[in-house]
Amino acid sequence: MSAAEDQADIERVQAGDISAFEGIVRRWQGPLVNLAYRFCRDRGRAEEMAQEAFLRAYRSLGKWRKKAAFSTWLFALATNLYCSEIRRIPPNTVSLDNIAEIRESGAADEGLLEKDRDRVVRQAVLALPRKYREATILFYFHDMDISAAAESLGLPEGTVKARLSRGRDILRRKLTKTLGTPELEQA
Amino acid sequence: MTNDDLDRILSSKDYDVLPSSGLAASVMEAIRSEAATPPPIPFPWKRALPGLAAAGVALVWLLALVVEELLRGAVPLPLTTSLPIWWVPIVRSIGWSALALLLSLISVKLSMQLASR
Repeated sequence: MSAAEDQADIERVQAGDISAFEGIVRRWQGPLVNLAYRFCRDRGRAEEMAQEAFLRAYRSLGKWRKKAAFSTWLFALATNLYCSEIRRIPPNTVSLDNIAEIRESGAADEGLLEKDRDRVVRQAVLALPRKYREATILFYFHDMDISAAAESLGLPEGTVKARLSRGRDILRRKLTKTLGTPELEQA
Repeated sequence: MTNDDLDRILSSKDYDVLPSSGLAASVMEAIRSEAATPPPIPFPWKRALPGLAAAGVALVWLLALVVEELLRGAVPLPLTTSLPIWWVPIVRSIGWSALALLLSLISVKLSMQLASR
């Protein structure tokens, strides 16, 4: 992704050429839909939320201060929107205490298949309390980059680190109970 | 499963979804429609300010009158001295109603004039 291309497109949009915004949409639709999907696990809703994020970005292009990269600003705007949307209409999640039921209902006797286990872990992330869930989702979305996650959430890095650590502790504890693997204890 | 397992599962690219082919077009359509919509008319604070200030002054003046009337007690108005006693509250009510109507009329006229500019 080129910051120079973003900058050029934004300047054209601000000069009145709306079609230049399409370049921004094409470059960033993948990341924005993926980020939304990690919050809601529903493809249709993820696209709707991404569309709304682009609309908001278009409306507030004038507020982008060039001190930060356009991508940082866009992710912060999208994160803010997604968090509010998820608070307004929470996704269908299973509570952390009921995650064991997923295993009982969906897995073979010999244990969870790897795919099922991954699904349970992702479901467990969505069932985390909000502040830990947001930090965890953003951390993994930004390829485990704490500072990028902190910028998107508009929080200090220390706060994100603490929330991430607490979120992982909860995940490990709950998943140990659910998946029944003793090696789940603190790595 | 360890922290490394969590890292592997949650940062896996299998987790990603591809946007549908029509998303960019749909976003651009929404943006064009947004751009074509005229911006909302901002509230004309500058024009409304004199009217609002006048309304505020009138309100304070009316409150002062009411308080004064309450403090004075039921003192008969000169006009009402020649009327039967049961007429007094009626005449007072008519006076207040007339004043309220007059203020409403002025307020409506003023707003219509400001809006038509």
